Amino acid sequence: MRKLIPVVVALFAIAAVACGDDKTETPVPTAVPNEVAVAAEVSPTEAPQPSTSAPSGQQPQARAVPVSEKPQGGVFRRIWSDPPTLDPALVTDTTSAGVVVEIFSGLVALSPDLELIPDIAERWEVSPDGMTYTFFLRPEAQFHDGKPITAQDFKWSIERAASPDTGSPVADTYLNDIVGVQNVLDGRTTDISGIKVIDDHTLRIDIDAPKAYFLAKLTYPTAYVLDQENVESGGRLWTDTPNGSGPFRLKEYRVGERIVLERNENFYRTPPNVDSILMNLAGGQSMAMYENDEIDITGVGLFDLERVLDPNEKLNKELVVAPPDFSVSYIGFNTAMKPFDDPKFRQALNHAVDKELIATEVLSDLVVPAYGPLPPGFPGFNSSLPGLRYDPDLAKQLLNESEYPNLSDQDRRIVITVPGTGGTIGLDLEVIIEMWRQVLDVEVEIQQVEWATYLDDLNQSKFQAFAGLGWEADYPDPQDFLDILFHSKSSINHGAYANAEVDRVLELARVEPDISRRVELYREAEELIVADAAWVPLWYTGERYVLIKDHVQDYRVTPMIVPKLKQMYIR
Amino acid sequence: MWVYIARRLLWLPFLLFVISAITFALFRIVPGDPVTVMLGARYDEDVAERLRKSLDLDKPLVVQYSNYMWGVVRPELHTLHLREDSGTTIKVPFFRLDFGESFRFRGRPVGPLMRTKMWVSFQVNMAGMLVALSIGLPLGFWVAHRQGSWTDPAAVAIAVILASLPIMVTAPAIIWLGCLKLDLVPCSGWGGLFDSRMIVVAIAMGGPGVAGFVRLMRASTLDVMGQDFIRTARSKGLGEFAIDSRHVLKNAMIPIVTILAFSLSGMLTTSFVAERIFGIPGIGSFAIDSLFNRDYPVMMAMTIILSTVFVLSILAADVAYAYVDPRIRYDGGGRG
Repeated sequence: MRKLIPVVVALFAIAAVACGDDKTETPVPTAVPNEVAVAAEVSPTEAPQPSTSAPSGQQPQARAVPVSEKPQGGVFRRIWSDPPTLDPALVTDTTSAGVVVEIFSGLVALSPDLELIPDIAERWEVSPDGMTYTFFLRPEAQFHDGKPITAQDFKWSIERAASPDTGSPVADTYLNDIVGVQNVLDGRTTDISGIKVIDDHTLRIDIDAPKAYFLAKLTYPTAYVLDQENVESGGRLWTDTPNGSGPFRLKEYRVGERIVLERNENFYRTPPNVDSILMNLAGGQSMAMYENDEIDITGVGLFDLERVLDPNEKLNKELVVAPPDFSVSYIGFNTAMKPFDDPKFRQALNHAVDKELIATEVLSDLVVPAYGPLPPGFPGFNSSLPGLRYDPDLAKQLLNESEYPNLSDQDRRIVITVPGTGGTIGLDLEVIIEMWRQVLDVEVEIQQVEWATYLDDLNQSKFQAFAGLGWEADYPDPQDFLDILFHSKSSINHGAYANAEVDRVLELARVEPDISRRVELYREAEELIVADAAWVPLWYTGERYVLIKDHVQDYRVTPMIVPKLKQMYIR
Repeated sequence: MWVYIARRLLWLPFLLFVISAITFALFRIVPGDPVTVMLGARYDEDVAERLRKSLDLDKPLVVQYSNYMWGVVRPELHTLHLREDSGTTIKVPFFRLDFGESFRFRGRPVGPLMRTKMWVSFQVNMAGMLVALSIGLPLGFWVAHRQGSWTDPAAVAIAVILASLPIMVTAPAIIWLGCLKLDLVPCSGWGGLFDSRMIVVAIAMGGPGVAGFVRLMRASTLDVMGQDFIRTARSKGLGEFAIDSRHVLKNAMIPIVTILAFSLSGMLTTSFVAERIFGIPGIGSFAIDSLFNRDYPVMMAMTIILSTVFVLSILAADVAYAYVDPRIRYDGGGRG
């Protein structure tokens, strides 16, 4: 019987499994915490004490004010865009999330090493059946204005996020495992029955099944805590003067000009080292501004790459090679439409593409070739996944064995639809089409459709095949890729991929409490999906080459958005 | 005159009603809606339905249109601060001009969102116009006096060539030469009207305009110079300078003023391409992105504001015409 699942250890274990196999340059999580205080923060769960089922009261541990040994002060300047929203409940995009995670916070968070760490909840207990979570909030946690954060604040915030009046596009995704959320989403009630306030600093959440990925979902802003008074008094634009709880407060937001974040000295964990973050929203040529010393960080595009990679160039010393983001791009097949209903045909197309060649010769190694949906460094990533590698002879053989050995005779068109409005369809796709033509003698047409129309048609499964779409992790759990994209009942399984065995394995993995068994199940599912050639996985993308000024230290380029600006310092 | 203006202004509401109703309907015919874009690759029919409901997109089109327009034209007392620092305010009744809340920037009112961007675009166009005028008019006036010599056809030929070059060609060329090769000016970016980064933009924007004004001014000046009253002026012994400044220039400006008033309508829109190339945070990119994101309130606000400006600038052109040329009258008599 497990009274307390050591979640940090468990998630760390997944990450370690992933990284252990990983032969790429993904940074291995540092075992030594960077900050003095982090060790103290992590310890309650890292060394799980045999906890009693009844919480042994509040023991406000006398805790020294966390002080960082890093140099304090300074401004970090970067280019950003106007965030579509600063309301944690509405966040769906990385531009918004990158600001929101620094101003607000929740029960649990992801560290820059993508471990699940305690945030406002200093520890938690999970019931033996895995369906009840009890969170113990830090008594010292407070909003920016000094008001203490209570369990009631969390209940109100999550109920608000799920309310139809809020109109959150992601409340379903992140909160619907909680008992009673569906009723709130449907507008039948405003009270989430599965969230109970035990006392000011104790919150109980019931979920509908022992889902191992539940805590990971709580790291997303949808479940962050808000100050009810602040939200209700501020009207629709309360986010212009947010009373958050995160390491930074919003000092200034001028639409189209700048966002200024300022350090929150009273942060309940180690406060940030830098005084402020200046986000330039006015746009401009990032590279030129970097060289002109107007900003401290920039991505490097294809055109500047050669210059920056030159070791004689001054800029070369400031170059950081980042791991790819937790995102994958792919060509999707509608497995319900001819000729993609035949797995052999799909496999033939996969084997006919030389991704290594395209990545190196065409895309200057700005991307990493993908052979499965899970990106490197991601929990469950399998570096020994065989994948459908480039093999022209095998491709031809598979095509001949398929039901459509000679497409041109059957007078069938293959159309791949991509989003866009004129202009190029992407070099990689052009080369892939040429490879299919040369290796398999298969002619493919490209049809370009404007973005909103593309999405509309995609949702109605009108496309025979589609590209130009990627999938980005919302939370570091394989469920977010494999279950959501390939379960036959998933509403966003755009290729109508259906394999009863895959469904069965995915459903087992959802509720499997044993971490290593769970990883195995997901690997099994991934292997089946890859062997079925549901996609042509293309690239793990992301800003691979980044320039960071010398005086900026401990800035981490992470494969997904996590609160990380408090760690860095200016020398 | 005033009666004429009033009559024209009375037409404005009707015109705007027709334009806005048609565009409102057209936007809805296009596939996809704000919810499609909001949910992106994570589209789920139930979630989409719920979102449409919470954004009032499930209401009948007529209701949506009426609600939107009522927000724009509802009368309201606006508080004007006479001086920034003092508390002196006056209340002015006017239309409410509430263009709704953006779908892309959730909850943010469209008006303030667009105001700064429109002001940027206006400055960019203004700078281009100033360049075009300050080079085009004197040059046109000068070549008109050189009629018959080689400079006249040469200048006109160059003007025509310049006018034919689209900004997608000239802008990169100017950046390449002025910024990358000669390092005279900054490459791109935005720092306001009096920032050095404006130079390249103004030249690229004004360049094609120079050609236009040269040709217009030349034709106009030649036309005036051939008139009887110029010969009269000359025969009564007026010096060339006096003739030019007192008679030729003034009369040659008539068509220019009309064109200027008319081009007010383009002061917000003609810089779309330049904004993209130079990375200027103007209304151009914003409008295009709003279109792709199906941000209906922003698209409607654009339509209403731009068509109002267009109608008003045509009116301004007509009025300016009457003002500069005393022979033109709109009230009574000849023209109705």
